Amino acid sequence: MSSTHNVEYQKKELPAKIRTIGLVLFVIGLIGVVASYLTDSSRSAFNNIIMLSFLTSVGLGSLFLVAVEYVAGAVWSTPFRRIPEFLSTILLVLPVVVVPLLFKLGDIFHWMHPEVVEADKILKGKAPYLNVEFFMVRVVLFILLWIVFYYFIARTSKKQDSTFDPSLTKKNIKLSAAFIPVFGITISFFAFDWLMSLEPHWFSTIFGVYYFSGSILAAFAAVTFVVVMLNENGYLIKGLTNDHYYSLGAFMFAFTNFWAYIAFSQFLLIWYANLPEETFWFLQRWEGNWIYYTIGLIFIRFAIPYFGLLSQPSKMDSKRLKIMSVWLLFAHWYDLYWLAMPNYSKDGILFSWIEIAFPLLTVGIVILLFVQLSKKNNLVAIGDPKLKRGIDFRL
Amino acid sequence: MSVVDYTQELSVVEGKPALRSLDDIISKPLETKPDKKFYIALSITLSMLGLFVIGLGLTFWYGIGMWGNNNPVGWAFDIVNFVFWVGIGHAGTLISAILFLFRQKWRTGIARFAEGMTIFAVMTALLFPLIHVGRPWLDGWLMPYPNQHGLWVNFTSPLLWDVFAVSTYFMVSLIFWYVGLIPDFATLRERASTKIKKVIYSTFSLGWRFSNRHWQHYEMVYLILAGFATPLVLSVHTIVSFDFAVSILPGWHTTIFPPYFVAGAVFSGFAMVQNVLIFVRRIFNYEHIITLDTLEKMNKIMLVTGSMVGYAYAMEFFIAWYSGVQPEQFTFLNRAFGPYAWAYWIMVTCNVITPQLFWFKKIRRSIPVMFIVAVFVNVGMWFERFVIVVTSLSRDYLPSSWAYYKPTYVDAMILIGSFGFFFTWILLFTKALPVVSIAEVKAVVDDAQPSHKDH
Amino acid sequence: MSDKILYSYTGIFDTPDEIIHAAEKTSEYGFKKYDVHTPYPLHGMNKAMKLPPSKLGYVALVVGLSGALAALLLMFWMSAVDYPIIIGGKPFFSFPAYVPVMFEVTVLSAAIATVLTMLFIFFKLPNNAHPLHDTDYMKEVSSNKYGISIQAEDEKFSEEQVKIFLTGLGAKEITAVYYDNEEINYKHKILEPKFIGFLLFTALLTSGVSYFVLNKLLYMPPFDWMMEQDKLNPQATSTLFTDGYGMREPIEGTISRGHLPYLFKGQPDAAEINLANPLPFTKPVLEMGQKKYDTFCSPCHGYHGEGDSRLRGQFPNPPSLHSEKIRNWKDGRIFHVITDGQNVMPSYSSQMTTEERWAVVNYIRVLQRALNAKESDLK
Repeated sequence: MSSTHNVEYQKKELPAKIRTIGLVLFVIGLIGVVASYLTDSSRSAFNNIIMLSFLTSVGLGSLFLVAVEYVAGAVWSTPFRRIPEFLSTILLVLPVVVVPLLFKLGDIFHWMHPEVVEADKILKGKAPYLNVEFFMVRVVLFILLWIVFYYFIARTSKKQDSTFDPSLTKKNIKLSAAFIPVFGITISFFAFDWLMSLEPHWFSTIFGVYYFSGSILAAFAAVTFVVVMLNENGYLIKGLTNDHYYSLGAFMFAFTNFWAYIAFSQFLLIWYANLPEETFWFLQRWEGNWIYYTIGLIFIRFAIPYFGLLSQPSKMDSKRLKIMSVWLLFAHWYDLYWLAMPNYSKDGILFSWIEIAFPLLTVGIVILLFVQLSKKNNLVAIGDPKLKRGIDFRL
Repeated sequence: MSVVDYTQELSVVEGKPALRSLDDIISKPLETKPDKKFYIALSITLSMLGLFVIGLGLTFWYGIGMWGNNNPVGWAFDIVNFVFWVGIGHAGTLISAILFLFRQKWRTGIARFAEGMTIFAVMTALLFPLIHVGRPWLDGWLMPYPNQHGLWVNFTSPLLWDVFAVSTYFMVSLIFWYVGLIPDFATLRERASTKIKKVIYSTFSLGWRFSNRHWQHYEMVYLILAGFATPLVLSVHTIVSFDFAVSILPGWHTTIFPPYFVAGAVFSGFAMVQNVLIFVRRIFNYEHIITLDTLEKMNKIMLVTGSMVGYAYAMEFFIAWYSGVQPEQFTFLNRAFGPYAWAYWIMVTCNVITPQLFWFKKIRRSIPVMFIVAVFVNVGMWFERFVIVVTSLSRDYLPSSWAYYKPTYVDAMILIGSFGFFFTWILLFTKALPVVSIAEVKAVVDDAQPSHKDH
Repeated sequence: MSDKILYSYTGIFDTPDEIIHAAEKTSEYGFKKYDVHTPYPLHGMNKAMKLPPSKLGYVALVVGLSGALAALLLMFWMSAVDYPIIIGGKPFFSFPAYVPVMFEVTVLSAAIATVLTMLFIFFKLPNNAHPLHDTDYMKEVSSNKYGISIQAEDEKFSEEQVKIFLTGLGAKEITAVYYDNEEINYKHKILEPKFIGFLLFTALLTSGVSYFVLNKLLYMPPFDWMMEQDKLNPQATSTLFTDGYGMREPIEGTISRGHLPYLFKGQPDAAEINLANPLPFTKPVLEMGQKKYDTFCSPCHGYHGEGDSRLRGQFPNPPSLHSEKIRNWKDGRIFHVITDGQNVMPSYSSQMTTEERWAVVNYIRVLQRALNAKESDLK
C-alpha cells in the first residue's frame, strides 16, 4: 500500500484547568443537589431521573458506538474510539446516581403504592411487571450487565495498547456482537421503567426506540465535542482531517433526523387515532405553559440542529461542530425533561436553581471522570490494527 | 483459527482487473445474443406474467368479488402483496443511497442491479393499489386535479400519502438510476458497433463526455440524490405502515410500526437481492465483482434487520400485555393460537429464527445455505404482512363480525403473476442495460484512485 | 484540405497519479479553458483543477423548501378553504396530517429540479455534437485512460507551446481535435424550434388525451356501468306506470314503522279521560322534556310557558299555560293538544315522538309548579 505514515502519538496530560472546571462544577452541583433534596425532595427526584437518563444515554450510547465500530469494521472512528470508551465509564457512576432515587420510589411512581394498584384495575394488570421487587431486579441487572460488558470491552482495548495483538480486536468484535442485542433490550426496558412508567397508564411500543434515538444522538454529540476539543489542542493523534469531522457531523445530522422521525411518528399515530388512553399523555404536554415547551422542543431538538448541520461545510467546521454538539447535549436534557417533568408538575414548567444544579453536577462528573481516565490511559487506541487505515481515511 | 488482517483494506473488486476488461465483461451480455438459458428463463417468467394478466383481466371484468376478500377482511392479498413488493424495493435504495452515504465501497458491485430491482419492485407494488379499487379506470381520482365535482382528495388519509410516497419513490429512484446510467451509456456509446446502438446510446447518454468539470457537479448531485433518497425510503415504508397504524384496530394501532416496517422492508429486500445476485454473478461471471465478501456483508445486514424485526415483535407483545387493553392482548394470543396460527408460526420461524443462523461465519459464507435462508426470509416476510393484515381484520372488536378469510384462485394467480412481472423486467434489464455500474466499479478497483502524498 | 477550426489539443495519461499531476500543472500554468476527462471521478481532481465547489446544493435547498411551502398552501386551500369536509373529527387544517405529503413533495421537487438544472443548465446537455465526440480520445477516456484537453479558445493557447507543455507532462498521443461541420453551428438544443415544437406537441397531445379520457371516455361503456344503473333514481320517469311517474305515493292506509295511529283525533275529552302519562318525574325524563319544550314550544309559549315568547307581536300569543284552566287539565288533555293541535297551534306529532311529548307534559307540570309554588315546596 502507498502511505508511509508513522503513527505519531504522544501522551499529553490534560491541562489542570480542565480538572479545575470539572471540580468546580461538581462541587457546586453536588451542593445544589443536596440542597434541593433537602428543600423539595420529590422535585429533586424527578430531576435525578433526568440526570440518570442523561448519563445512561451518554454512557451506554458511547459503549454502543464502540460496539458498532467493532462489528461494522469501521475505520474512520478508530483514531478516536478511545473517547467513547472513556465516556462509557459513566456506567460505573450509575449505581451512585440511582441510590437517592431508591429512597423516593414511592413519590415518583404511583404504582409503587399497593393501595393505588388495588383500586386501579389497569395497574393491577401490570403488577407482575410494575412491582417494586421486579423493578429493583431490573435496575440492578441492567446496570450490572452494562458494567460487565463495558469492563471487558474497555479492558481488551486498553490491553491492545501495549500488546498490539490483533486477536484482541477479534475478541472485542465478539463481545460487541453479543452486547448489541443485550443493549437493545435493556435500553428499551430502562426507558419503560424510568420514563414511561412515570405515567403508568400510558404506553407506546416505540418508546424504547425514541429513547434510543435520543441517546445515540447525545453520545455522538458528546464524542464530537470531546474529539474536536482534544484534536484542536493536539491531544489526539496527528493526521485527523476534516473528513473525520465530516463523518461525526453527518451522524449528528442523520440522528437528528432520525429522532425527529421517531418523535413525529409517535405523535402522529396517537393524534390520528385519537384514543383517550393514549392522547392524554400528549395533552398533558400541551396544557398550561407546557405548550410553549413542547413547541420549543420541535425547534430546539430538530429545526435548529437540522439547519445548523445541513450544509457540507458545516459538518466539517470545528467551531460549528462544537456549538452544535453542545446544543444537542442541551437539547437531549431538554427532551428528557419534557418526558419526565410533566408527570410531576401538571401545571407548568418548573425552573429554578434546582433544575440547574443537576446538569452542573452531571457535567462535573463527566469531566472529572474523563480527566481521571486520561491520566492513566492513552487518549488514542494506539494498538489497534485499524489505526493507520483510520488516519488515512478520506471520504 | 486464522486472524483477519485488520491493517489491510479488503479489496472490493478482487484481482485488480484492468479497466478495459471491466468494460468488456460488463458489456458482454449487451453485446451478445441471448442464449438458450435466457430464453428458458424468460419463458418461465412470461408464463407467470400471463397468469398475472389473466388474473387481472378476470378481476377487471367481474369485479373484486373474484378475490377472497370478505367482511370483515376487506384487505387481504392485495395489500399484503403491495407492502411485500414495496418492501423488496427498499433494499435497492438502501444499497444505492444509504451505503453510499456511509461510504461503503462494497456497494458498487451491486448498486446498479439493486436499484433496478427497486424500480421493478416498485412498479409491481404500484399495480396493487391501482387494481384493488372497484373501478380501476378511475384511478386518476387518486390525484388532486381540478374536476367538475369540485372535489379534492383527502389529504389526511394515509392511503393518499401512499399515492404521493410511492410515486415520489418511483420517480426519484428512476432519476437516481438514470443519473448513474449516464456515464455507462456514454461508455457503451463509444463501444457501439452498429449505427442503431450508437444512436440509442448517444441519445440516452445525452452526450456525456467524462469531463471532470461535469463529474464535479455529478458527484454533488449524486450525493444530494442519495441524501434525499435515504429519508425518502424511510418515509415510504413509514407511510405504508401508517396505512395500518393510524387506525384503531388492535394489532394495527401501535407506534412502533414505522421503524418496524422499514426494518422489515430492508430485511426482505436484502433477501431478495441476495437471491437474485447469487444467480447473476454465476451466470455473468461477475464473481470477482460481486464478491463473497459482499454477499457476507449483505447477510450481516439481514441479521441486523431481522433482529430489529424480532425486537419489534417482542415489544408489541410486551406492550400489548403491559397496556392492559384487552382487545390488544387478545389479538396477539389469537395470532399465535387462533385459526391463523399456522401462518403466525411460519412467520416466526422464518423471520426470527432463520436469520439468527447468520451469526455463524460459515453459514454467512456458504452460498447454498445463505440462498435457502434468504428464501425463508422472503416467505416469512410475506407471511408477516399476511398475519398483520388478515388476522387483525378477521377477528377485531366485535365477535359477531368475525370471519375466516380464504384466498381464491384469482388471488393466487395474481400473487404468482406479480413475481412473473417482476422477474420478466429483471431478465430484460440484464440484456438491455449494464447490470453493474461500470464507472463506479472502476473507481473502487485497487489503485484506481491517486495516492495521497500530502495528507 | 479545407480550413478546419481547431478546438483543442488533447493528451492521454495512463495512471491516476499522472493525470492529477498534469491537472495541477495545467491550472498552475494559468490555463482556464481546459478540461480533464476520466472514466470515473478521481479523488482530489477538483482540488487539482482548483474548481470552486458546486452550487447545486442551493438549487436543491431552495426548490425543496419552496416545494414544501407550496404543498402546504395547496393542501390548506383544498382542505380548509375550497371544500372543507369534517373527516374523523379532525380540524379542517390538520397540520400533522400534511407533513408526509409535504415531505414527499419536497423530495420530489428538489430531486427533479436539481437533476434537470444539472443536465440542462450546468452541462448544457443533451449535446451529441461536441467536437470531442467520435474521437479516439473519447474512446480511450471513456474506458481506461485519463486525458486532458486544452482548448484553443484559451488566452494562453498557442499550438507549439501547448504541444511542448503536454509532452513535458508526459502525455501520450498528443492530438489536435477539430470541429466538424455540424458542430460549429451548434446551439443549445433546448431553444431550437424543433424542440420547442416537440414540447408544444407533447403538451397538446397530453391535454387532448386527458380531456378525452376524463370527459368522454369515462362516460362510455364499460366505464359508465356504475353510472348507468337499472335502478330507479328519484324524480326519474318510468314506463311501468300509466302516469309515467317513477315515484309513487304510499298505498292508502300505510303507516310508518313504529307508528301507532292516534285514537283520539278531534276528541280532546276522550283523550283526557283515556290517556295516562306513562313517564315518571325523573331527571332524564325532565331533561328531555325541557330540551324538546325549548326547541318546539318556546317559540310561541316562551321559555316559562307564560305566552310571552320571542315571537312577540309577529304571531298571535298563546294563552299562558299557568292559567287555572290548564293547571286543572289532566296530562292526557295537554298531550292531546300537542298531538292534535288546537286553534292556531298545529299538530306536533310529526316533530316529537310519543315519549317525547309525554316528557314535555311532565316539564310543563314542572313549570306550572314553579310559578305557583306553595310554601311547602321550599322544604
